Amino acid sequence: MTAPALEVLRTRLDARTAAFLEACVRCNLCAESCHVYLADGESASTPAAKVQQVARLYRRYHTWSGRVLPWLTGARELDEADLDALKDAAFGRCTMCGRCTLNCAVGLDPTAVMGLARAMLVAAGKVPEGITANVTAALETGNSMRIPADEVRETIAWLEADLRESTGDATITLPLDQPGKRVLYALNPREIKFFPLSIQAAGLIFHAARESWTLTSADFDITNYAYFACDRATAGKISARVLERAHSLGVETLVVAECGHGYRSLRWEAPEYLQRTYPFEILSFVELLERYVAGGRITLNATRNRDRVTLHDPCNLVRNGGVIEPQRTVLRRAAWDFVEMTPNREHNYCCGGGGGMLAASEYAARRVATGKLKAEQIRRTGAKVVVTPCHNCMDQLLELSKRYELGVEIRTLAEVVADALVVPNHNH
Amino acid sequence: MRLPALLLLAALATAAFSLARARAAIGSTRAPLFAPARGREAAGVRHAFTTAFLPWAKESASGHLATYLAGIVYHAGVFAMLARLILTLPPVRLPWIVDRALAALFVLALACGLGLLAKRLINADLRAVSVPDDAIANLLVDLSLAAGCAAALAPGAVPSFQLAGAVLLLYAPLGKLRHMLFLVTSRTLWGQYYGRRGVRG
Repeated sequence: MTAPALEVLRTRLDARTAAFLEACVRCNLCAESCHVYLADGESASTPAAKVQQVARLYRRYHTWSGRVLPWLTGARELDEADLDALKDAAFGRCTMCGRCTLNCAVGLDPTAVMGLARAMLVAAGKVPEGITANVTAALETGNSMRIPADEVRETIAWLEADLRESTGDATITLPLDQPGKRVLYALNPREIKFFPLSIQAAGLIFHAARESWTLTSADFDITNYAYFACDRATAGKISARVLERAHSLGVETLVVAECGHGYRSLRWEAPEYLQRTYPFEILSFVELLERYVAGGRITLNATRNRDRVTLHDPCNLVRNGGVIEPQRTVLRRAAWDFVEMTPNREHNYCCGGGGGMLAASEYAARRVATGKLKAEQIRRTGAKVVVTPCHNCMDQLLELSKRYELGVEIRTLAEVVADALVVPNHNH
Repeated sequence: MRLPALLLLAALATAAFSLARARAAIGSTRAPLFAPARGREAAGVRHAFTTAFLPWAKESASGHLATYLAGIVYHAGVFAMLARLILTLPPVRLPWIVDRALAALFVLALACGLGLLAKRLINADLRAVSVPDDAIANLLVDLSLAAGCAAALAPGAVPSFQLAGAVLLLYAPLGKLRHMLFLVTSRTLWGQYYGRRGVRG
């Protein structure tokens, strides 16, 4: 399967990635910026080592010195064993978190190189099955968890009834498929299946803010596993569904629920995949919450969240998405005792579950082991609650909390905000 | 014109040609972006070439301060050496104090270069990513620094300096020395990325 991989190397190798491959001086100063290397200490886990797996192929097939003098530059031909090693590096030892990029002495982006590796592995059929299964599900059914529209409608109806009952406010609605609203709130399917409380929390917040909003029963899925596979064509098709849905509903703003890669893939990558702009704004729910708080559209009472809270920064939302301060502004208003973990913001460590790692069961043990760094970060804060505006990170943090006995509750930002919300009862 | 000077001219032409080709290749593929920017690319690029170089701006620098400082001195010496090399062609005579200062810088840079090479040979993680080009490029630069030092102290050593410099420049398009050009590109891209997304700058 080397030929298709080499064809991808040939066709997808743009000047940007080539410049990165040329710029790497193999200084290895990036090593300690990688949570995988910090966890296992293996030479193969340093970002430089991962980059070199692709760089050697680049030199062999795309530089004349690599063709003529391969021994000089370490250029080598691609064989099946290399593909397996490349899979281990690109999918098994890298979460594409980009911390190495931030710390690279010469400014290269190892995640761009790993993206190229992943695209080559897609062509070679060497993608973790879990990622492929999610991509297939999204293409076949419109969402990665194969949830039919009827089930979405039933779940939302049930959540709405439950919300009305628990708040005693019969005016609360979870509107579905309503055109002409200002906001489309697009979901991670895990919320529908496993974390419905985050949908209720969002509904309560929208209600308090008197927002004109809607959910959608089809094309609601903000996740994009083809983005993890770095298969741009397929990732574009998947992202296009949500974007077209927002377009057809005529909304002013597409609000992406708390999901790091969902936000990044829709906000930053999809317009490039699809080579077009859209006539609506794309916001993370985190950003919208900040606007509500700043604009006085919602009132929060921090005394309702008295336990110490810390914040985990999802790499795709923060380091690669630029949403850095809004979640902090909101948390300071919603929680009585908010403390930062160290390091934080764009310097934060990946939880270990990014880059599709949670879907790649073959790397599960390694994923939990690399999460130890994050677990220790959390433990040092003394927090009882860890807030993360990302359902992917949430899954990993839940597992880390059990494995490393952190005894913390993992919550979305919306859930914490909903608890602090001073809800106006529109019945009165 | 003597043979070393001719060789040096040829090497400069080769290096300039390679750089121009690489630059053109990079410049030709700057695709327009569609996602609306959150921050300013220009601010990110400015940061990439200024404050991002400060040792506390990067964990990779602050955590490896000796290597970082060695790298700074090494590259300062290399740029000064290349400038001095070009000045041997007209030739230009520099005030003796400037030549003494350059000689001192070249010696320091040479020590740093050898130190970085030693680190590469000793550190297992570095060895794992190293190729022969790393050592050859380092030694050729070190040789030029040593010859540059000699030429700065004794004008009779200028032909040796020119010869060493010519070999270095002829070798440059073959391997890692190309990073001289691509570093500018990659740092620009780095700054554009973080500037555009509002993360830095």
